Amino acid sequence: MIQHIDVHAVLRRSVSGSYTDLVTRPTGRAVREGIEQAIVAEASIARIDFTGVGCIDYSCADEIVAKLLRERLRVLLLSGLTDGHREAIEPVLAGHGLAVLLERPDGTLEPLGPRESADALLEDMIARRLATRTPGGDLHLTAV
Amino acid sequence: MTRLVEVPASFDDRTFDQFAGGFVTAWADGERLLFDAHAADWASPYGLVGLLAAGQAAGAGGREKPLLTAPTAAEVVSYWSRAGFFRAAGELFEIHGRIPKTKPLEDSDVLLPVTAVRAAEDVHEVVSHIQQRATAILTAELGVDPKATMGFAMALSEACQNIVEHAGTGGWVAVQSYHWRRRLAKRVVVIAVADAGVGFRHSLAPTQATRFGTRWGDAAALEAALVQGVSRFRDPGRGQGLKGIRNYVSRWDGKISIRSGTARISITPSWDDDVPLADGLAAFPGAQVLIIIPEQGTRKA
Repeated sequence: MIQHIDVHAVLRRSVSGSYTDLVTRPTGRAVREGIEQAIVAEASIARIDFTGVGCIDYSCADEIVAKLLRERLRVLLLSGLTDGHREAIEPVLAGHGLAVLLERPDGTLEPLGPRESADALLEDMIARRLATRTPGGDLHLTAV
Repeated sequence: MTRLVEVPASFDDRTFDQFAGGFVTAWADGERLLFDAHAADWASPYGLVGLLAAGQAAGAGGREKPLLTAPTAAEVVSYWSRAGFFRAAGELFEIHGRIPKTKPLEDSDVLLPVTAVRAAEDVHEVVSHIQQRATAILTAELGVDPKATMGFAMALSEACQNIVEHAGTGGWVAVQSYHWRRRLAKRVVVIAVADAGVGFRHSLAPTQATRFGTRWGDAAALEAALVQGVSRFRDPGRGQGLKGIRNYVSRWDGKISIRSGTARISITPSWDDDVPLADGLAAFPGAQVLIIIPEQGTRKA
């Protein structure tokens, strides 16, 4: 089962005001805790949707993406990412040696993170039959 | 008795050490301070937030609120006012001089007026406020790739968070864009952040002092924070902020400089002649951060 989590909605619930930016450690911590509460036990993958989120800084990327991976989830699927979001998330993944999957609008998957970690994640996804390669080489999820 | 601290006529990062020297000497006596800016004819965002940090330190510990004579030149005092300086200074100084009763306005140069940063909510406000205008300036006037403009907001956010997480007190941030005729002959966007808090050495000492041994001091603390990306927190994800800023400014041929205590560390681009590490400076309290992003000669990928 893939569970969809709307980060912008979690942000609005977790932090006072009408902020659209994921900045500062306390905000990142509050949003991560909101996501952790929303994740159901039977979810094998969490799709974290960043649509509607403005800026993400390194502190929030670390609090949310890195800590979810280190402490809670084996596989994290990120969707709705802009180039600006990637600019914050990729250095954080590199710093921790972690990898996530980016789900593009057409449904194909792109690993983000250091090469070794990204390759290991892809192998794991395919071995667990959570993802498959098309004849063209693109990677897709098998579940929705 | 009141001790005089002269504010340099042209007050920026280059003249800050001269100001800090005068401040530290006068401050040591424990007397009330008078900051004399009457002859000031220009101040950069770094000068303005640095002056506020000096005022914060001068009035701390139950000492009498310092005095400040405002610039006498009408266009200078008007500019300081539009930059939001006097709004923040009113809490710290007993101000003398004619201050125009204008609200801080955002004209083409002042991207973010001098703004107090005390808590995470303030950082949110700063980032929300800056994005649209900064994006327009960075892409249209500085030639920064539109995809990379979010990095500017990230750098601003992380610089402000240093105050919230490490200073132990509040501080200020200001962002301005201007044509830097004398030093670079280009347009630049400048972020200046300053506080009069505990500084990097004190903040990092519990986790880093032993590792550095006899080398430990302000310079070693700055090196640990900016170059090695260490933090006072043992959490392995900490310390990414300054590293991220460093990477961002390097990518856009910019400069970051951090002054704390008796030292200043800089990541200097080819257009700047600042030294990478200056030690033995006047012991100014807290931390002062300067980030400069210049107009791009040729766009980078």
